[in-house]
Amino acid sequence: MTSVLANIGRRWLSLSEGVGQMTLLTLTTWWKFWTTAPDRIEFMRSLYKVGVQSFPIVVVTALLTGAIMVIQSGQLVAQYEAYGLLGWGAGYATLREVGPILIGLMFSGRVGANNTAELGTMRITEQIDALRALAIDPIPYLLVPRFFAIVSMMFLLTLVGNLMALVGGTITSQFLLQVDWRLFVWSLREYLHLSDLFNGLIKSVFFGIAIATVSNHFGYHTSGGAVGVGRAVNSSVVFSAVSIFVLDFVIGYFLP
Amino acid sequence: MIEFLKVRKSFGEKHVLRGVDLTVKAGEIMFIIGSSGAGKSVLVKHLVGLLRPDGGNIILDGKDITYLSERDFYDVRKRCAMVFQNSTLFDSMTLLDNVALPIRKHFSVSLEEARRRAVEKLALVGMEGQADRYPADFGDGMRKKVAIARALTLDPQFVIFDEPTTGIDPISAAIVDNLIRDLSVNLGVTSIVVSHDLRSIFGVADRIAMLYQGLFILDGPPQLYRETDHPIVRQFIDGQPDGPMEV
Amino acid sequence: MSAPAAQTPSSGPMSRSLAAVGGPLLMIGGELRDIFRMLFLTLYYLFRKPVRWRAVVEQGYEIGNRSLVFVTLVLGFLGMILIYQSAYQAQQIVGDLQLLGALFLQLLFREFAPTITALMIATRVGTGIAAEVGSMVVTEQVDALRMNNADPIQYLVVPRFVAGLVMTVVLSVFAVVVCFLAGMFVADRLFDVSPTTFFNTTLLTWGDLIAFLMKAFAYGIAVPVISAHAGLSAFGGSEGVGAATTKAVVNCSLAVVFLDFLLSGFAFVFLF
Repeated sequence: MTSVLANIGRRWLSLSEGVGQMTLLTLTTWWKFWTTAPDRIEFMRSLYKVGVQSFPIVVVTALLTGAIMVIQSGQLVAQYEAYGLLGWGAGYATLREVGPILIGLMFSGRVGANNTAELGTMRITEQIDALRALAIDPIPYLLVPRFFAIVSMMFLLTLVGNLMALVGGTITSQFLLQVDWRLFVWSLREYLHLSDLFNGLIKSVFFGIAIATVSNHFGYHTSGGAVGVGRAVNSSVVFSAVSIFVLDFVIGYFLP
Repeated sequence: MIEFLKVRKSFGEKHVLRGVDLTVKAGEIMFIIGSSGAGKSVLVKHLVGLLRPDGGNIILDGKDITYLSERDFYDVRKRCAMVFQNSTLFDSMTLLDNVALPIRKHFSVSLEEARRRAVEKLALVGMEGQADRYPADFGDGMRKKVAIARALTLDPQFVIFDEPTTGIDPISAAIVDNLIRDLSVNLGVTSIVVSHDLRSIFGVADRIAMLYQGLFILDGPPQLYRETDHPIVRQFIDGQPDGPMEV
Repeated sequence: MSAPAAQTPSSGPMSRSLAAVGGPLLMIGGELRDIFRMLFLTLYYLFRKPVRWRAVVEQGYEIGNRSLVFVTLVLGFLGMILIYQSAYQAQQIVGDLQLLGALFLQLLFREFAPTITALMIATRVGTGIAAEVGSMVVTEQVDALRMNNADPIQYLVVPRFVAGLVMTVVLSVFAVVVCFLAGMFVADRLFDVSPTTFFNTTLLTWGDLIAFLMKAFAYGIAVPVISAHAGLSAFGGSEGVGAATTKAVVNCSLAVVFLDFLLSGFAFVFLF
């Protein structure tokens, strides 16, 4: 009995410690973002890397997601013969829910994992200590550019991705469901509002913040050699995923 | 001048430093030796604030740096540079940019100027020809040389070398040894070298301090070590596997 | 007329852009070939050689039990928001929430439960497998295995494959339950749809269940194999482990989305 309690206690303590570390790191990152001039080279490098890494994957995912949503809605629509609602059915869910979530998950996997792996490797090969020994503060140098790059890219990519998803949906609607693409597009324009798009975009910003925060934290605080890096990446993607779904719910609930 | 006064450091149950005393005079080359895991790296990391002691004091040029904040350590680190055991170059940049980074960050110069100065530093270690290549292309010896060049960019008064010749070929080791000697003779740099390379130890050191089980058991010039009767020191110097030393 | 000095037939803009497309394609093709090769070898060892059942059980525990909380959290929140959004919209457009539960259940089986579960397994387990196997590779434990005449695929991949496949299916079923209950909770609390109305299986067809099983099965095969492949191709110390885990997540996620597309299309055409 006591060992179960001790176990729970230990887990709770290490969880609290982790959350505390992450909060401190994030607050420090934001603070330094406003107060310290960023390193231009690292900034550009981060933006480029994050964008280039994630762009093809997000485009492919978005196209497929749009297609999948049309297929699924198509089945429902066929049951009720309400072909005019196909655009609405697929589009609404895609812009508000499925689009941001899947793009967020893909982004977390491609960029978040990579970020954690890179920072983690730097940590265990003492490169971060080397920076400190050269009197260079690692937080504005390493973490701020990455944070900014991740959040801004996530936003941009969701914007592009949503568009791609609708394209994918339109193509699928025409060729697989035999619903004329003009009807599909009309349905989109008729039933979807800008607020649907914005809702999804706001979510994407929060997802980006979550992914940046989590991946920075686990990478920066890695310990334990090569095995530790693997474990850090694991934790990073898991926590990012949970955050995405929790944030999705919270934003969906509180935002019209 | 550097002084360690009764410095203690433990990691959980492991008492690595048990109240060490050490004085390093300006301009001298001090070697800290001992078996692997004796605490040599732990000790020197205190000088740049990468570790904080559990007890005792560390004085650098008359200033007590024991309880400085991370922020305040930046000034210390500009005067006291460290070359890490694993070279720890930044993999994502070329050798040139590795050396140029601290120049860029601490002197308000353009990127071109920083790179120009970086080439000068690389020339000190004979690596200026490889400036545009990446650390991954090189073996330990050459990476170490670049790490030394990088450590010298802020013109430090003190340099810490953590096992500079471990795992590198004898020629590169000799180049590193000569560099350490040149720094002291020509630039008056105080060097603290953590090592168990006997050839370097007896080739370059002005003074040697041996760390064993958390304390310094001998402290003096190389001559002292050649002639000592101290059983533990003797065993280490002669490289004998059997003896009173607990490893 | 003089041609630009540095241009040769193979460096003009045309060939360069073809190379830009062709290069990645070739690389993807090579990866796919390796992954399928690993799949065939895994199946070969599974059916022709003794299986380490104890390892299977151990891995099953790793994958299944350790993912329960994660899957519960994710699918719980997903269920809540899906019902919240759909009920809200349905109230506005259709006005009637009778079939909400029934449609939700259908959609869960067909799409969300297996796919989201698989993506979550890819994140948690995929990185886990890649990290574990990758660490073994870079610390030369895998070489040590080979020296002892134990084939790494038989020793490492097969147990994870079997466990992964079984657990994906099991967790997908669990996901349906969790997600549905979460949706039921929201429907009851916020939209006054009683649980008995919500729990409506009348629209569920065999086609839905077949689609569900097909997807869970396909994902269950893809994720362990792709992750193990990523792990075994690790090289270069801790950097290699990091790269392997990233590769595992990315490849698994892409595979899941792609398989989802294929199987959804297949189901649409042939099952409905």
